[in-house]
Amino acid sequence: MTAVLEAQGVSVHFGGVRALAGVDLDVQESELIGLIGPNGAGKTTFVDAISGFVRCGGRVALDGFDLAGLSPHERALRGLSRTWQSTELFDDLTVRENLAVASRRPSLWQVAKEMLGDSAATSGEIEQALELLDLGWAQDVMPGDLSQGQRKLVGVARAIVTQPRLLCLDEPAAGLDTGESEELGRRLRALANKGQSMLLIDHDMGLVLSVCDRIFVLEFGKLIASGKPQEVRGDQRVVSAYLGGAAAEVSGP
Amino acid sequence: MQQVLLFVLLGLGSGALIAGIALAVVLTYRGSGIINLATGAIAMLSGYAYWSLKTGEYGGVHFATAPALLLTLVITLVIGVLIEFVAFRPLRTASPLAKLVSSLGVLLVAQASMLLAFGTDQKPQPTILPQGTVKVFGNTVPEDRFILAGIVIGIAIVLAVLYRWTRFGLATRAASENELNAQIAGLSANRLSLGNTLLASVVAGGVGVLAASVTQLDTVSLPLQVVPALAAALLARLTSFGIACAAGLGIGILNSLIDYFSTKSWFPTDQGVPLPGTKELIAFLIIVLAMFLRGAALPGRGELVEQRLPEVPRPHNLMTPAVAFSLVCAVALVVLPFDFRQALVNTLIGTVMALSLVVITGFVGQISVVQLSLAGASGFVVSHMAVDAGIGFPLAPICGSIMAITLGLLTAVSALRVRGVSLAVVTLGATVAIVNFGFINSTWGGGNTGSPVPEPHLFGLDLGPRSAFRGLDGSLPSPVFGWVALAVTVLLCLFVAAIRRGNLGERMLAVRSNERAAAAAAVNVRNVKLLAFGISSFIAGVAGSLYAYNFGSVSADRFDAVTALALIAFAYAGGITLVSGAVFAGLISTEGLIPHALDKWFGINGNWFLLFGGVILLFTLIQHPEGIAGAFYKRLHRSRRPGGRGERGSLFTAKTPAPAAER
Amino acid sequence: MAATVLEIEALTAGYEEAAVVRDLSLGVGEGEVVALLGANGAGKTTTLRVISGIVHPMAGRVVLAGQDLAGTSISARARMGIAHVPENRGLFFGLTVAEHFRLGHRGERLDEEAAYRHFPALAELRDRRCGLLSGGEQQMLAVGRALARHPRLLLLDELSLGLAPLIVERLLPVVREYALESGCGVLLVEQHIQLALTVADRGYVLSHGELVLQDRAEALRGNRDLLMASYFGERATATLEADT
Repeated sequence: MTAVLEAQGVSVHFGGVRALAGVDLDVQESELIGLIGPNGAGKTTFVDAISGFVRCGGRVALDGFDLAGLSPHERALRGLSRTWQSTELFDDLTVRENLAVASRRPSLWQVAKEMLGDSAATSGEIEQALELLDLGWAQDVMPGDLSQGQRKLVGVARAIVTQPRLLCLDEPAAGLDTGESEELGRRLRALANKGQSMLLIDHDMGLVLSVCDRIFVLEFGKLIASGKPQEVRGDQRVVSAYLGGAAAEVSGP
Repeated sequence: MQQVLLFVLLGLGSGALIAGIALAVVLTYRGSGIINLATGAIAMLSGYAYWSLKTGEYGGVHFATAPALLLTLVITLVIGVLIEFVAFRPLRTASPLAKLVSSLGVLLVAQASMLLAFGTDQKPQPTILPQGTVKVFGNTVPEDRFILAGIVIGIAIVLAVLYRWTRFGLATRAASENELNAQIAGLSANRLSLGNTLLASVVAGGVGVLAASVTQLDTVSLPLQVVPALAAALLARLTSFGIACAAGLGIGILNSLIDYFSTKSWFPTDQGVPLPGTKELIAFLIIVLAMFLRGAALPGRGELVEQRLPEVPRPHNLMTPAVAFSLVCAVALVVLPFDFRQALVNTLIGTVMALSLVVITGFVGQISVVQLSLAGASGFVVSHMAVDAGIGFPLAPICGSIMAITLGLLTAVSALRVRGVSLAVVTLGATVAIVNFGFINSTWGGGNTGSPVPEPHLFGLDLGPRSAFRGLDGSLPSPVFGWVALAVTVLLCLFVAAIRRGNLGERMLAVRSNERAAAAAAVNVRNVKLLAFGISSFIAGVAGSLYAYNFGSVSADRFDAVTALALIAFAYAGGITLVSGAVFAGLISTEGLIPHALDKWFGINGNWFLLFGGVILLFTLIQHPEGIAGAFYKRLHRSRRPGGRGERGSLFTAKTPAPAAER
Repeated sequence: MAATVLEIEALTAGYEEAAVVRDLSLGVGEGEVVALLGANGAGKTTTLRVISGIVHPMAGRVVLAGQDLAGTSISARARMGIAHVPENRGLFFGLTVAEHFRLGHRGERLDEEAAYRHFPALAELRDRRCGLLSGGEQQMLAVGRALARHPRLLLLDELSLGLAPLIVERLLPVVREYALESGCGVLLVEQHIQLALTVADRGYVLSHGELVLQDRAEALRGNRDLLMASYFGERATATLEADT
């Protein structure tokens, strides 16, 4: 069986700075994968690279199809969907419209038809996504009127409305309080259990460790560990990456 | 060869003028991040100030040169302070569009007030520089050209030194690189902005006074020098004084050489006269070249938060207002006296023109100055098809619209990489080029007199303004044409509202909000922009055909750059994101209902209205950035919006709708 | 404890009306180095941004040497003696090293020599453009410039960002030394806890915008379980304990 996402030797350079050095990462069908690492380790760069916003070396394949040379919107059409740490909603559109932008792929002809007829028919996918994240009540609200946590959820809803093959979430829990973060975790887990493959980046180790199937750890653009949550949690390199060079002395037995 | 050299040297004069204004543009941009379209207008204001002091035209006192210069300096500084505090400072954190429009407001106010004070006649500016000549390689050249060029080069050196060595210069460089970091370092952004605005005013004003020997003083020439100056400033990436100065001088020399070449037999001619508009075309090409060479993005100011454009509410219940509007206008077109009938037709056409801006600027966030020129191109096609080929309604307007769409898409191709304020500059250059190269040309444009447009006929029926059916007072124009214009306007209003309601509108707004996120949501950003330019140009083309039939002729002056800028001002003040805003814009547009009523009842003529228009625009920008229609809309719909900013509901449950809060 | 330089009382702050920091109170004394710790998104950077005036608080007070800072602009606060080294280092790539030291506000003269004394390597780079410096050199310049202003309060945000730990291990002792000799208060945001706690006198740990732990630095260093819990999340700790 082919992996949903297969990234091999992904490298990114910014000028002379190496942001990612040959990262290998795979996401299997209905897996929830965590990607963690200290600030500046290259996690967001990795998502930018696979979603086509940053040029990268190496090979990125979605369902075995090589994505090389495809623009971001083409990758999105192929089923690679993502969110941003800074949410990046369309602030000029209501929540429902935010989802509608992503959900439809109109041809010129359909645009013309829509122009002549009444406004667009409701789409089942939007209802489903709203329901999945309990956002039905907010569909006619402008994003600016929502709390940070609610905006994050809308970002996730907009990313899943296309029923993507792979959903990449960049720090969905940043800015949420502990309770909200836990609730988000439960929802992501439920989504994965329904068969959605996901790549989750977050600094909230509690969230990542408690919901992910497997975890990859980056530091200075390199993969330093990967495996099941318990394995990663106990890995000395991971602990020292987080607590600093001298951590070994503290975290020793 | 000797001749060529002569013209090169002569070109130093106008080159110095362009270079001086370019230096002021760069100064303002580095000081406050504003591309000041009014830089040329500041030169004009100082020029008029010096002229009236020196000739005693105002106040009756003849000043000697030195005190007149000193007073002019004081006046220029006062103008600088006014501009800073009225137009720039209140908009420090506003959207780039708002900043640009505010400098446009300054331009309109300056121009209108000078028109009111001094009329349209050109004034011979008394010269300050010595009037002798020098011999250079056998050519006799006025020495003031060298002095003027020397002064501007001197200014550029002084500015470069100032920016290199003084604390003020260092601070400005720091703030223009990253304004927030500069504030963290304890630098006052406001004080730096004021300092640079004053410096820019003095530089522009000084050039305006000294340029007497090169150009006459009027209300158009100097303000429009900002276009070649922008070309020079863009080549300097709005950063380097040296390059801006050199490029300005270069453009001046190039223009002078064109003057020389146009006397040659090989130079292309148009009905006996040398091809007009080549200089403007070159300025435009330099702007486009600069954008490609220097990169499309202008240097930013770090992470300072920029505000969004006004919001674009989804229109509800279109039919009732559309039917009511149609009925009222249809009746009014019969019962109103002839002059008000004409003003109403002008308002309808102005509305269509503003609709074109609603699509491109309001929905997609692209600032295009060129839309009015596209209308003009369409109008000239209608005229020439009728006059040269005998093809009339409805084929000619269709061809006109196709012409507008073609030109619009050509602009759009350059807009794919250029956005925001850069696009405004490119399209401003395009406007000036199209008007001078296209419309003034007597073969494919209208020459200086304009080109006639016959009445539109369909199935033997005269649909034009001279149709047999007259209003109640039996005078021209005929209500029939008004009805045609009304039908077109209402249809296009519904069309634009339908765009906003449909998925295309959603995708346009997605592109406007965030191109990156739009691409991630599988929106093809390039196609959406092209489509928006196409639709907007089509609407402009329709407006152009209506213009043509309305006036029975098309001429270049109806579509010039200042009118195009005023159109954006009206559209912004009306509410650039709303269909109803376009209707407001039509009401206040040139020769529309409101200016006509003010003129007729209160004797407030067009120039006064432009002056008020500029002032109101500045006021609107600061008080109601969403425009007049937007302010109305907010007042009407405030209670409808569920919840409000501020309270923080639980993450997964609905907030109880709060009572409408003042926002 | 020495006189208080900075006092934050019941601060709530955030962006777009969403609170990132909730009900936070902390203090920094003269000559004291205080570490503000916590996972990313915990609200550390926001706290610094509130102190230097970039973000307006929704509730609570920020007091500098007895003076309430409400309504004071960013640049005025800088002139009152707050030196903020933000995450992006707050430098200007187009300016040379020496020019950074001439970039004082009106009437201010930066003590360039002091900076070179603390970071001798900078003296040799005097005429180099900031944009051409390496990450470590830039960070030295950022800290050096802040010290040259002789601030009352120094705010340092993630000095280690994008740098090898070795460089930060050299930078932080300089800050420690400077605080002792000048009496300047230092509030240090750092994700390398271990590094931060070796130089700090006291530490505060934030989690999801709330203060969860505060103690002397040595005590925090010894309290490994609590620290880990605040970083890796109580749930994870609980799960793992259940597993083992």
